[in-house]
Amino acid sequence: MIKSYIAGNINKLLLLLAILCAGPASMAQVSALTVISNAKGTPETLRFSELKSIFMGEQQRWRNGTKITLALMKTNTDVGKVTSFKVYGMSGDELNKFWLALVFQGKAAAPIFFNSVSELENFVAHNPGAIGITDQLAANTDIKTIMVEGRKIL
Amino acid sequence: MCLMTKKTLSLPLVFYLFFNVSAFAQNTQIKGFIDVLGTYDDSVSFGLGEQDLFITSELSDRLSFLGESVFKFSPSSSTQFSVSIERVVIKYNIQGNHNLILGKIHSPLNYWNDTYHHGRVFFPTIGRPLLFNAEIIPLHTSGISIQGHDLGKAKFGYDVVVGNGLGSSDIVDNDKRKSVILAMHIKPADRLRFGISFYNDAIAKGATIHDKINKWKVKQNLYSASASYFGKKFELLAEGTLASNHTDTTGSKNTLASYAYVGYKANKNVVPYIRVDNLHYQNGEVYFRKDNTTSVAGGLRYEINYLAVVKLEYQYQNSEHAPNTNKVTAQFAIGF
Repeated sequence: MIKSYIAGNINKLLLLLAILCAGPASMAQVSALTVISNAKGTPETLRFSELKSIFMGEQQRWRNGTKITLALMKTNTDVGKVTSFKVYGMSGDELNKFWLALVFQGKAAAPIFFNSVSELENFVAHNPGAIGITDQLAANTDIKTIMVEGRKIL
Repeated sequence: MCLMTKKTLSLPLVFYLFFNVSAFAQNTQIKGFIDVLGTYDDSVSFGLGEQDLFITSELSDRLSFLGESVFKFSPSSSTQFSVSIERVVIKYNIQGNHNLILGKIHSPLNYWNDTYHHGRVFFPTIGRPLLFNAEIIPLHTSGISIQGHDLGKAKFGYDVVVGNGLGSSDIVDNDKRKSVILAMHIKPADRLRFGISFYNDAIAKGATIHDKINKWKVKQNLYSASASYFGKKFELLAEGTLASNHTDTTGSKNTLASYAYVGYKANKNVVPYIRVDNLHYQNGEVYFRKDNTTSVAGGLRYEINYLAVVKLEYQYQNSEHAPNTNKVTAQFAIGF
């Protein structure tokens, strides 16, 4: 019974373990990130360099031609702060400036920013080609967790 | 005949573009920038900068629009302000990172013109470099372009632009000759970019340009190069343009316009900086207003956040045809 429960929820338990091991986070209460995407038309795995390229607006379409839509937590949320630091190597303010400049230059469409993880998940679930960063593994069949460098947790 | 050919070529494209817009949730956003200034040279004065509104809209999976309009002081206007359309960018994604662009764009000849446009909140200094004020490069081009970005490991990018050219208006060309821009850049590392560009145009005799009537037909070639690095600690931007203007009377005369900017991030908010500009015209230049000029500007930029920046700057300028100037300027630039 316990074994089957563990086997069925191993990803969630690993994520919980990673969060607990992080202890009191200095920057925010979030230390582990996951990359989720719409279940259709997005890859199963990415290298970190590819992930960064996508979230920097350098790669704007998936290999099958589907437009990539970025979903991020607002930079004043805990997940948003950790995303800015871990994925972009920037502060939240630098990230906002980076995207405002890129949109102003006409080089890319801005990410959609969300206040809550559930809103972000819902957006990703309903938009083919969408990819987002949260602190939770994919929880329904419309979205999937993308492995980055072979891991489900960033 | 010519009209028929245009219709034949454009109708399938129009049909394809607009019938391809299927059940797409349009996303339109309006944003803007403005700045206010205080200046001291021999007296203190306050002033408004430009109010810049820009609109972006995703029209379909592959079609998007960007418009930029500026409201600025214009003494000849009855309201003392005028409105100008600075950019109309209709972009169609051809494939991957390759786009077709129609409309009016900022000529992608150097980093500054292709990056900052009219958003003073992004400017690393208070104003544009002198090569802009001296109208060495054409700021805008109305026409058609193909653009690519972030290709391959070097993150190669390119622009090929065909436009109406100098002396034309935004609605009609004044001659048969088209301007051509070929530009390319690479981004070999994070925050680092190198670019080069070439501009070719022929400005018709009698065309009104730089607020004067052009007395000669001028064949112009512009060769530009730029290097930029906006790192976590240091900021560096250096650009130069060699302009060669040829008339049958004077032959070719060269002008070299360049500037270098260096900034240091003392902390996350404060950036002291310096910029040196130089304009050097060859004797006999007839197209530009020959006025050899050197300028040194030093300042402090305080970034309250990404939407609000305060700058305080001192500038010394030495010009061939004007007295030396010393000026202190404070600017508060915001995005909204």
